[in-house]
Amino acid sequence: MIIELGHFAVVTALVLSLLGIAAPILGLWTKNADWIRVGRQSVTLIFVLLGLGIAALEYSYLTRDFSVAYVASTSNSKLPLFYTIAALWGGHEGSLLLWVFILSAFSTVAVWLHWRTQPTIMPYLIAVESSVMFGFLMLIVFLSSPFERIFPAPIEGKDLNPLLQDPAMTMHPPMLYMGYVGFSIPFAFAMAALFSGRLGEEWIKVTQRWTIFAWLCLTVGIMMGGYWAYYELGWGGYWGWDPVENASFMPWLVGTAFLHSVMVQEKRKMFKVWNLFLIIVTFSLSLIGTFLVRSGVLTSVHTFATDPERGLYILIFLAVVMGTAFGTLIARAQKLKSRVELDSIVSRESVFMFNNLFFLVAAATVFLGTLYPLMIETWKGSKVTVGPPYYNAVFMPIALGLLFLMGVGPYIAWRKASLDNIKKNFLIPLIVALGTTALAFALGFRSPFTIAGAFVVGFVTTTIATDIGKVSAFFARRDRVNYLRGFVSAFRNNQRRYAGTVTHIGVLVFVVGVIASTVYQTEKVVSLHTGDEFTMGPYRLTLAEIHDVQGPNWTAKEGRFELYRGDRLLTEMRPQKRIYDASQTPTTESAIYAINMGHVFLTMPEVSPDGTATARGVINPLILWVWGGGGIMGLGVLLNMFRPRKRDE
Amino acid sequence: MLTRLLVVLAVLGALASPAVATTVDETDIDIKTREVAKTLRCTVCQTENVWESGSPFARQVRENIRERVEQGQSAEEIRAYFLSRYGDYILMQPPARGVNWLVWIGPFAVLIVGGFLLYRTLNRWVTSTPAAPQTVEPLDEASRRRIERELHS
Amino acid sequence: MTRGWQIALVVGLLGLLALFYQGLWGNPRLIPTVLIGTAAPNFTGPQVGSSEPLSLDQFRGKVVLLNFWASWCQECRLEHSNLLALNERFRQDPNFVMLGINYQDKEEDAQQYLRTFGTNFPHVRDIKGAVSFDYGVYGVPETFVVDQQGVIRCKTIGPIIGQVYANYTQKILPALIAGSADTVKC
Repeated sequence: MIIELGHFAVVTALVLSLLGIAAPILGLWTKNADWIRVGRQSVTLIFVLLGLGIAALEYSYLTRDFSVAYVASTSNSKLPLFYTIAALWGGHEGSLLLWVFILSAFSTVAVWLHWRTQPTIMPYLIAVESSVMFGFLMLIVFLSSPFERIFPAPIEGKDLNPLLQDPAMTMHPPMLYMGYVGFSIPFAFAMAALFSGRLGEEWIKVTQRWTIFAWLCLTVGIMMGGYWAYYELGWGGYWGWDPVENASFMPWLVGTAFLHSVMVQEKRKMFKVWNLFLIIVTFSLSLIGTFLVRSGVLTSVHTFATDPERGLYILIFLAVVMGTAFGTLIARAQKLKSRVELDSIVSRESVFMFNNLFFLVAAATVFLGTLYPLMIETWKGSKVTVGPPYYNAVFMPIALGLLFLMGVGPYIAWRKASLDNIKKNFLIPLIVALGTTALAFALGFRSPFTIAGAFVVGFVTTTIATDIGKVSAFFARRDRVNYLRGFVSAFRNNQRRYAGTVTHIGVLVFVVGVIASTVYQTEKVVSLHTGDEFTMGPYRLTLAEIHDVQGPNWTAKEGRFELYRGDRLLTEMRPQKRIYDASQTPTTESAIYAINMGHVFLTMPEVSPDGTATARGVINPLILWVWGGGGIMGLGVLLNMFRPRKRDE
Repeated sequence: MLTRLLVVLAVLGALASPAVATTVDETDIDIKTREVAKTLRCTVCQTENVWESGSPFARQVRENIRERVEQGQSAEEIRAYFLSRYGDYILMQPPARGVNWLVWIGPFAVLIVGGFLLYRTLNRWVTSTPAAPQTVEPLDEASRRRIERELHS
Repeated sequence: MTRGWQIALVVGLLGLLALFYQGLWGNPRLIPTVLIGTAAPNFTGPQVGSSEPLSLDQFRGKVVLLNFWASWCQECRLEHSNLLALNERFRQDPNFVMLGINYQDKEEDAQQYLRTFGTNFPHVRDIKGAVSFDYGVYGVPETFVVDQQGVIRCKTIGPIIGQVYANYTQKILPALIAGSADTVKC
């Protein structure tokens, strides 16, 4: 009964989405604001109805109603409460419902928030968001409904995939979807500008706020996925260049390009059409990501159950959205073209353009690598694998180039950088960079990534540090306080700029962490009996005992290892080999110990009946810089979003 | 009486012997097997190599690699064998020959061509921008510093 | 946006959508074989339920249908009766023989499987997977047909049922047994 009510609510939402498209169009045609209001009510009501749909589904989960097919396939009665709630987005149908629910929530917020300040955009915002919601709701209602019943109802559900029974994994999809959906708002603004032929000052400001929020969500979502892969999948890595990982990375890359390029539009009123192009590409990539995961075109860790019919529908939806968006861009771009005034190639505008070039080439590279197997199969009938060795070889140089630009952009002048300006800002960093490179070489590092990385990291660290130093000194002198207070004043004086600096520092920390933990990871796999030990670098691990452990819905063999450095006992480590009761799926649970900002990472992939354990130990140097860097990136965004608004903002 | 004595002796013997901790380590064969296994794709998995994967197929491939390493085959020979049986798919990246140059060189080609096109466009913009007026009054220090700061934020 | 870029954008989009469309109908897990037209590798192994070893070389000069299976393989059960029927039909011809290769299995399970479902051809146990590697096998069931010159002419991935079975009965096997050198469509 409840589930049918939920189903009814979602079907009503589908009908309302049509109204959400028609009403604003009518309003524009008849120049009657009441129709736009109808559109606003539709969007709000859709949010409420989808909320009811989700509530009905959660009710079925909590009451263990296995007559609902989706509930039966993603949970069972022993599943802990937390995972039972999260199981709603553990499968294809429910996760789609979550996607469109988040879309409706963001749309409602955007419509109410900008109602008074963005009257020209409003009808287009409502119509575009309603169109996207329509597309998703059609898919859900007709081809992917989580509300189907199953007769006869099974006594016990199957189970939530054990790999998903994990806190990071439960938060990863909602975060990711918030990122994808977040970009739909600037996308709708862009379509508004194209349809209406107007692109005002206000457009920039609202676009930037939503973009940076979406960027934050997407970044955190991707990081969570990486973190989960790291400790749950048990191979000590956090990014496999899996097709669906790539599908989330591509909109991130183009979204970051957009985020930067829009700053030029804000400052110099240039590149308007280019920015419209970028946001259309960003949102298109979000939708393409949805296509790739759910259509069966690519095989991946993430792919949901494949179904060509669903795939065909999503492809048609994709074609309609992209066709309309790019078509309108081609048709209307002339109206919005801005005059480009550039005094010199050596200028910040120019660096921003190269930033865009590198980001787009990066996205194109990931795109090419992901689709190349499909291309070759279609063209030649044979199959190839495009795996991590390819991406590491091809992507890293581009990433280092971007990193270098990150050290130039904020510190080069707008319009025209004088030779003096160049010398003052970049001569010393270049010298330091040569120094760090020589140092890396002298310390014995030979990997080209490390050497190139040493150069770039040396350069960027110096430009950032010099800037912070100079400005802190200036404010310290002016206010006659110490350096630290000087920095705080500088920060407050231009919070937006220095929040950005914080994010850039986060990127730097992240990249160093990635190079260290990828290039210098060491691994050892041994077979042990109780009492045996093995060494790994400066550490020693002893297997003290193997015993059985019982969980709420699993049993495990746990190995109790002791980690020593020299003679000092650092900690106990308890990796497990688990079997989940319902599905009899085995998982390896890893044991992690943080030391020197790196990890000692231990798993026990096999335990034989006679008590021989296979232990796999990995040392990941500086891996905490990977997660820490991500955290600092997020902190920078928060400092930006929650800055005190100056009078002119 | 005798049995009790024997039991006591046995217990004392067990307590007296020092705990022997065997240190285990990887052999050269282990290391070589891992190196080769990391370069072959697990055909029934999603972009995992045969070393990472826990599937039965991967396990059999690892054992096969180990046997070949023990027989003295080189990494190249082992890879060549699997390549001849499974085709390019079993490698972790497209081999750099034939049409695959597209995917290896493509990104750099796009970067270079794109960079060139961008440079040309920027040049065009610079030459079409009217030059700033030449007569400029000298600035005082405070204004100059303030302008510098504005330009840099 | 100049005309050139507009055209490039439209062409790019259409190409992408076409590629995606093509991809919907493929099977991402299917690996096409590279062994058609190459010499079938010899193998020697113990039989299921017998101490006598069996090798492929014993059957040189005959058309050999080689079927990889396992007791835990669900799809293998679908094709089992078809295989028996195929063998019944063609075994009178001295130029034909059918062999099974038991893949990643335990001896008792394999014997149990054959007892339950019956068999009329010998099966070799591939204990360490060496045979399956030689033939580029990565799952079961997979079936190969080797011609009288010892060349692999055909590989089928998946169960031999329906249209595939009809193809084997009417086209592939008769042609190869008659000694045809034309390309067979598997």
